[in-house]
Amino acid sequence: MPEVPQNAGYLVAAYVVTAVILLGYTFSLYRRSSKG
Amino acid sequence: MSLLHRGRWITLLGLALLAGVYVRALAFTPVERLQGPAQKIYYLHVPAAIWAETAMVLVGLGSIFYLFLKDRRLDRFAAASAEVGTVFAAIVLTTGPIWGKPIWGTWWTWDARLTSTLLLFFLYIGYLLLRGAVRDPALGARYAAVLGICGMCLVPFIHLSVYLFRTLHPQPIILKPSAPSLPGSMLATWLFSLGVFTLLYVGFVTQRYALSLLWEERNGA
Repeated sequence: MPEVPQNAGYLVAAYVVTAVILLGYTFSLYRRSSKG
Repeated sequence: MSLLHRGRWITLLGLALLAGVYVRALAFTPVERLQGPAQKIYYLHVPAAIWAETAMVLVGLGSIFYLFLKDRRLDRFAAASAEVGTVFAAIVLTTGPIWGKPIWGTWWTWDARLTSTLLLFFLYIGYLLLRGAVRDPALGARYAAVLGICGMCLVPFIHLSVYLFRTLHPQPIILKPSAPSLPGSMLATWLFSLGVFTLLYVGFVTQRYALSLLWEERNGA
């Protein structure tokens, strides 16, 4: 049986990037509404 | 409660549930044997892709009806959907290569699916730039509507590109004519994530729509 690949670093990177993009956009909307 | 606050609460609920998706995907969903942990990128990549494409379809539909009815609410909605679609497209274009590197051995390849998705992202950027570049808001809305309709026409091509061309990108394993080929626990995680991304789309678009309204009221547009 083949070994399971050890590539958890890529998984972590993708999850972090997604969180950063979503939180960044949330913050951007919040800032724009506060300025308005 | 104002529209802006309603959107903010929906977004916060979506973000809280996204944390739940992370916990479920990382701790309670089995690791795929051939791809390893990187397969779990799928739970974010595909829901983001579905909403990046759906957002463009909604931009196109809003644009068509705007051109016929001249109802500013439709244009406001199209602009909001385009901005949120850009965010989801950015997630697709970053998580995809991060998955591709360990599985394909390369970050990027110019195959039909990847290239057409990149084109979708550029169309979103073009749409937003066009709106900002034209001084007359009504004229800008008309030009943007035409671009939005072009973007909508691209979406079926993106979805079918894996059938029409020889691509490295996997074929759909859920959105296909036959039954989904995912084990139950993986499918449940994916459906949970799709629900959360739907909530985030609704929350973001509601907030962005409310911001347009505020801006128009302030500027007397």
